[in-house]
Amino acid sequence: MARPIPAWLAPTSLEEALELRARYGEEATVVAGGTFVGILINQGLLQPAALLTLRQIAELAYLRVEDASASGKPLLRIGAMTTHRALERSPLVQRGWPVLASTFALVASPRVRNQATVGGVLADADYASDPPALLHALGASVVARSPQGQRLISVEELIVGHYETSLRPDELLTEIQVPGGIEGAVYRKFRSRSSEDRPCVAVAAVRREGRLRVTVGAVAERPQYFPEICALAEGQAGIDAELAREIGERYAAAIEPLSDARGSAHYRRRVIAVEVRRALEDLHQQIIATGGGSQRHV
Amino acid sequence: MSRAMPEPGENTHRTEPDPRVTGAIRYAQDVELPDMLYACIVRSPYAHARVLRVDTSSLPADVVALTPDDVRALGLYGCQIKDQQVLAVERALYIGDPVAAVAAASPRAAREAAELIEVDYEELPAVFDAVEAMQPGAPLLHEDLAISDNDAAYFGMRPEPQRNVCHHFRIRHGDIEQGFAEADVIVEETYRTPSAQHVPMEPHACLARWTADGRLEVWTGTQTPFNLRMDLAGIFGLPQERIRIIAPPMGGAFGSKTFVRYEAIVACLARKAGRPVKLVLRRDEEWLTLNRHPSTIHVKLGARRDGTLVAKQVTCWANTGAYADCGPGVAQKMGFASPGPYRIPHVWVDSYCVYTNLPSNGAFRGYGATQAVWASERTMDLLAERLGLDPLELRLKNVLVDGDRYCTGEVMHDVHFADCLKAVAGQIGWHEGRRGKGLAVLLKGMQTPSRASIVVEANDDGSYTVHCATAEMGQGAWRAIRMLAAEQLGVPVERVHFPVPDTDIVPYDTRTTSSRSTYMMGRALVEAVRQLKENGELGYGECVNEGGLDPDTGQGIASTHWHQGAAAAEVRVDEETGKLEVVHLHTAIYAGRVVNPPAAQLQNEGSMIMGLGSALFEEITFAEGQVTNANLSDYNIPAADDLPRITYDLIERPGAEIHGLGETALPPVPAAIGNALFSLGIHVRDLPLTPERVLEASERRRVRSAAPV
Ligand SMILES: Cc1cc2nc3c(=O)[nH]c(=O)nc-3n(C[C@H](O)[C@H](O)[C@H](O)COP(=O)(O)OP(=O)(O)OC[C@H]3O[C@@H](n4cnc5c(N)ncnc54)[C@H](O)[C@@H]3O)c2cc1C
Repeated sequence: MARPIPAWLAPTSLEEALELRARYGEEATVVAGGTFVGILINQGLLQPAALLTLRQIAELAYLRVEDASASGKPLLRIGAMTTHRALERSPLVQRGWPVLASTFALVASPRVRNQATVGGVLADADYASDPPALLHALGASVVARSPQGQRLISVEELIVGHYETSLRPDELLTEIQVPGGIEGAVYRKFRSRSSEDRPCVAVAAVRREGRLRVTVGAVAERPQYFPEICALAEGQAGIDAELAREIGERYAAAIEPLSDARGSAHYRRRVIAVEVRRALEDLHQQIIATGGGSQRHV
Repeated sequence: MSRAMPEPGENTHRTEPDPRVTGAIRYAQDVELPDMLYACIVRSPYAHARVLRVDTSSLPADVVALTPDDVRALGLYGCQIKDQQVLAVERALYIGDPVAAVAAASPRAAREAAELIEVDYEELPAVFDAVEAMQPGAPLLHEDLAISDNDAAYFGMRPEPQRNVCHHFRIRHGDIEQGFAEADVIVEETYRTPSAQHVPMEPHACLARWTADGRLEVWTGTQTPFNLRMDLAGIFGLPQERIRIIAPPMGGAFGSKTFVRYEAIVACLARKAGRPVKLVLRRDEEWLTLNRHPSTIHVKLGARRDGTLVAKQVTCWANTGAYADCGPGVAQKMGFASPGPYRIPHVWVDSYCVYTNLPSNGAFRGYGATQAVWASERTMDLLAERLGLDPLELRLKNVLVDGDRYCTGEVMHDVHFADCLKAVAGQIGWHEGRRGKGLAVLLKGMQTPSRASIVVEANDDGSYTVHCATAEMGQGAWRAIRMLAAEQLGVPVERVHFPVPDTDIVPYDTRTTSSRSTYMMGRALVEAVRQLKENGELGYGECVNEGGLDPDTGQGIASTHWHQGAAAAEVRVDEETGKLEVVHLHTAIYAGRVVNPPAAQLQNEGSMIMGLGSALFEEITFAEGQVTNANLSDYNIPAADDLPRITYDLIERPGAEIHGLGETALPPVPAAIGNALFSLGIHVRDLPLTPERVLEASERRRVRSAAPV
């Protein structure tokens, strides 16, 4: 009558992992860093028949830059099992994608970041995480693999709802790809409680190839992005104060925020207007400082 | 003379390895006995419900179950009011109230077995707010309230069961109506503070066994071994000496490990199983075990135009949850701390300890003072604003000095409130500009009456052993007592041993609460060492403090010894989001004499940080009685990056008595931060000071200043 202890599947190669994933499907819960899965199991919210851990697959932890994108711009490839800490401390990332390094450094505490993985935070699709909004604004994509092959999914299409992704039960998220050619990128984490808390409002603002992309996280089921509002900045050299304010206010009006312990919907709407505006002001400063070029972002 | 913080790199090196660092320490949760079983509690999912049937028929044969029928005949208990049975026998009174328990071969087997017990309930109406619970027609939690014979029920209690009040404490001093008639200005406000969790690193843990000759032995993380023994004796109908309590060191307690928690349940399981039974709580169960009293406090304060205080009326509603626990004592201390350390000729206080269908609230570092100081000291700043006076000057004008009478009628001695206030004002740069700065002062009583006793024994090898019931919960009490003993015996501290307290061996002590141990035990020790030096073998010493208040007038001796301190804060506010940043926090507390500087400094820092958490974000949230943040992701406590610049003074005086300092710095911290906000025109009445509340209050200010006058 005792509840069965979940089977522990610990493949050492990606091939083996994909085979197990296809065989078990939803029967097996994938474990990356386990920071989220562990809590669900402890709280009795998840009682999986099997656990499929990716911890022993060395080939899934890497950081590489490749000149692979269509435009010839560099592409950062992040193995799904790369920890937050490894990414945050990588000189490669710090030099080429400083906003990524600094954003991952804002997640939780060093204890969590030593454990939590880049694949895990995306596959998790928690509305109150930091990296999704930034990766969304950066135009990042993920590689989903199954024994049948692989597909590239933009972060925008990956996260479909709260804790919901478009990954299929036979797929593993194996890689995150972040394009280069960034002219400026800002991430602002607004916390309403402890510094180790998740965000109450998260704003990522990125300018790439002359186009602005503002993504607001932690305020709704999935990252919030409004291309028609961002288009207001089209053709502008920078983002002046008036435009920043207007985009902030439009975002606040367009988003239907949720209420939780970190803030009511009403309060979040106020903060969205302020934080989007501030993110754009920061972005403007960055663009001016780099002369509109892409000094800091490869 | 004042001992400031250690400089970076200053040597605070200890002479012996710290067992907490080497791993040698055995906490309460580490105690094991051969053959023991593990317990798990079955809890009510309803805030108020009749327990109709508890069905254990699907349990495996090797699991021992405890049901209401097993405990119905046992005695009622409660350290102040006897309102509790070992399980909820007739009615469950909060979500989480134990209705059954199991013991099985492993913690996992116990958890799974607990899920197999089926309980039928009939849901009843519930009430969660203390003010509502006192209204006519509110559901009544307890029909009759017998006052406990435990010596924690040391004061006269005034229960009013027909309106859910387990104690109504009063102060009647002067003539309140005349006082307000004499006042040139009167300010009035209502404040609320939420429930909070102690969050000790080590959860509650206990282990019980019955010996072949029918004695009960309990190993438990407890601050109150003797009070626990008294209540267990009442439950099992045993003489106290048939019960033995062993109190291993704890990984934190902060008031949560007091009186009977789960010891009676594991003892019943152990008796039924015929084997030892151990329980270690899961983290989420801590929120269902004991929390801090939510409070509503109404203050009306009258003064003359020059700032002289003339009258103060305070009403406190302390929400004690489903069982009184030591809530009556908390409400009483909240009541007599609420006038503040001031000379006020006319004082009228009503403090109610009120039952509701929430988990029990009890002792929590600060013991009612945090709530009282929040209300009292925020009101002082309202008054200062109204009178156009400097808040520091207003306080200094009225603060108690040696020889003054407090509103309890007692004459104050060894008074240092003004010193504390001046010290914090100086350190925060008060005189260079007050914008964004706030102050608060605290008076907090020590357990009165109480008794501490200690035995010191000379060993053959030239070392000494101290037999003493003082609990070690990380505060360093054992080491402080060893250091005092070593100093008096003229030996190095390594030669003084402090075994784990065992009520079979150690002499009586009231309990390790209210920052009393170093002071009381320190005094008892002097006598014990003197005796030992006379006979060369054994010395016994005792320290008794006498006093108490008349419950109907609040007159008498509230405390033989006052904890005194002040805090100052400097803050910045992001006006657009309401986010509050504490830039600098300084406290000054009167220590008299510091025994163990590194430990005292850590205690004081810990208090300040806990106060910061209460000020900024700590709050247990409930939905119809259900705790909604019973984990450490949803319930935030301060992290290293949350800390402002933290500085402090531990004020010492040559030849002075030791003053307890375990909780003095906590209560004034939220009020100092609230007053710093108020200096910017932002008046927040309720804790914690979330950005949302601050923004709302700063908008009220804008509306107010925009309104035509
Ligand atoms: C105390 C605490 C504080 C936190 N604070 C923050 C914060 O401030 N900001 C923030 O952004 N986040 C925060 N988090 C969330 C944390 O970042 C996530 O829990 C973490 O990123 C998940 O990563 P993991 O590797 O541990 O994932 P796991 O827990 O192992 O997995 C997460 C989910 O993804 C699935 N999964 C994982 N990897 C794959 C894969 N390769 N392919 C397919 N499915 C996969 C798992 O099955 C599971 O459903 C906090 C977490 C904790 C515990």
